[in-house]
Order: sequence, then C-alpha cells, then structure tokens
Amino acid sequence: MSSPFSEMLASLIRQRGVLGSMVVSESDGIIIDSNLQIGVRGQAVAALAASLFRKARLSARAAGLGEAAFLQLEAPNGRVCAAGRDDLVLVTVAESRANVGLIRVEMLKAMGALTL
Amino acid sequence: MSAPTTAAVERWVEAPIKQFVDDARVLLALLLYPSGQVIAQHGFARAVDVMSACALAAAINASSTELGKQLEGKPFRGLHHAGRARQIYLADVSTSRGSLIFLTVFDSDSSLGLVQLYFGEFQQRLAAAAPAPAPDARVLPQNFEGELNRNLAQLFGRI
Repeated sequence: MSSPFSEMLASLIRQRGVLGSMVVSESDGIIIDSNLQIGVRGQAVAALAASLFRKARLSARAAGLGEAAFLQLEAPNGRVCAAGRDDLVLVTVAESRANVGLIRVEMLKAMGALTL
Repeated sequence: MSAPTTAAVERWVEAPIKQFVDDARVLLALLLYPSGQVIAQHGFARAVDVMSACALAAAINASSTELGKQLEGKPFRGLHHAGRARQIYLADVSTSRGSLIFLTVFDSDSSLGLVQLYFGEFQQRLAAAAPAPAPDARVLPQNFEGELNRNLAQLFGRI
C-alpha cells in the first residue's frame, strides 16, 4: 500500500549505504511509513529517534537558536539522521560508508513533501 | 517534594518495573492481577488511588478483552488513550504466574512509541523473573477485600 511518503522514502533508500528510512510522528514515536532493509529494528529506531529529535528541537529553542532542522548522530557502525517539521520526523539509518552530505541534501529536499 | 517510589508486593516484579520506569520515563505504573489485586506500583502517593486505578484497570481490561473477542475472536493486545496532557497505556503481560495487567501513565516526556518499545522489554524481563506458580494461590472472593487491604498496606509501608 502506498502513502504520500512512499516515493520520497524510496528515493532515500536508493542512496548508497542507506539501510532504512522512515516518516515518524514526533509526538508519538510511531512509524507512519517506512522503507527498511531486513534487520533494521524500525519501531525501536523510530521511537528513540523521534524522542531524540524532539529533545534536540526543544534544546535548540531553549538556547535561543531557533528551530532545529537536521540532526545527525554518529556511531561506530553508522549514522542516524533526522529532519522534521509539523510533528513529522524523517529518520534515515545509514552505514558509515554512506555519503552523509548527499543524504542530508536528499532529506532536506524531501522535507518539502513532509506534511500531512 | 519526595521522588516517586516503586513498591512491590512480590519481590520478583520490582527490578523489571523499576527498569521500565527508568527507560520509558513514565509517571505512573501499576501491575495487577486481572482480579484487581495490586502486585506493584510506581508513582502513586495514596493507597486509595492505587485501589481505584486497579479496579478501573481490571474493569477496562475485562471489557476490552471481551470486545476484542467479539470483534476479532481474540483479546486486544493493548489499549492506548491520549488525554490532553497525559496518556495511558494498558496491556496484558503473560508470565508463569498467569496473565497480569500493566497500566502506565505518561506525558510528553515520553511517547507511545517509547512506552511500547520498553513494554516489550518489560514483558521479557518479567517472564524471565517470574517464579513457578504458587500452589493454590488464588484469591477467593470471600478473602478479596482482606487480601487487597493487606497488599495496599504492604505497598504503602504500613506492615
């Protein structure tokens, strides 16, 4: 079944090293649509990444820095990137070898479609 | 103001419930038998609130279980209700001690996704920690009120 986000998620998963991509409700941490490779724990990543993005957004606002638009978390074996607006968060999980610059551009471009 | 405490009538549930509260950042948690007998609580200040919450959770669980059976032929797995500031999540937990009911209340410091995620881990920890069923540990209707009062007194330090 396709959703308004299917095409955007399919374009992100085509990037080299991307393991999965999801649109998540920021307040609930529940997946709205996703395109994931086998082995990615989508629900766990979605809940935690949405919570992380929300806290980053609130921290940036509290520090007087404005709205956080993009969040990148680096770990030894890969990265989690998140971008959001209007209670929706676009989360991408990628391997270390992925081109994070390209992923960032694609995610920020996809933000235009990120509305309910 | 003192920090909310966790208390358990049965010692084996204490560690899993504390872990869940720490992980999911919930405000209140309650574990009970489907009869409404409390097993453990976190965050409640008064025995009467635990008693009310247990009675309501048992009733909601009974209704939703029956509704699930009517609609889908099996009980619903979990129930979520979002209020303006707080939300509740109510679900069954299967252990060797039989089916238990878990109720938790959370606000915007947590989320339904986080609660569901850590509830899954809580279920596993609880199932692993559960001792063998006690022989004839059923609470008989004539003993219900006495058992309830004894459990509440134990949770709130009056024993």
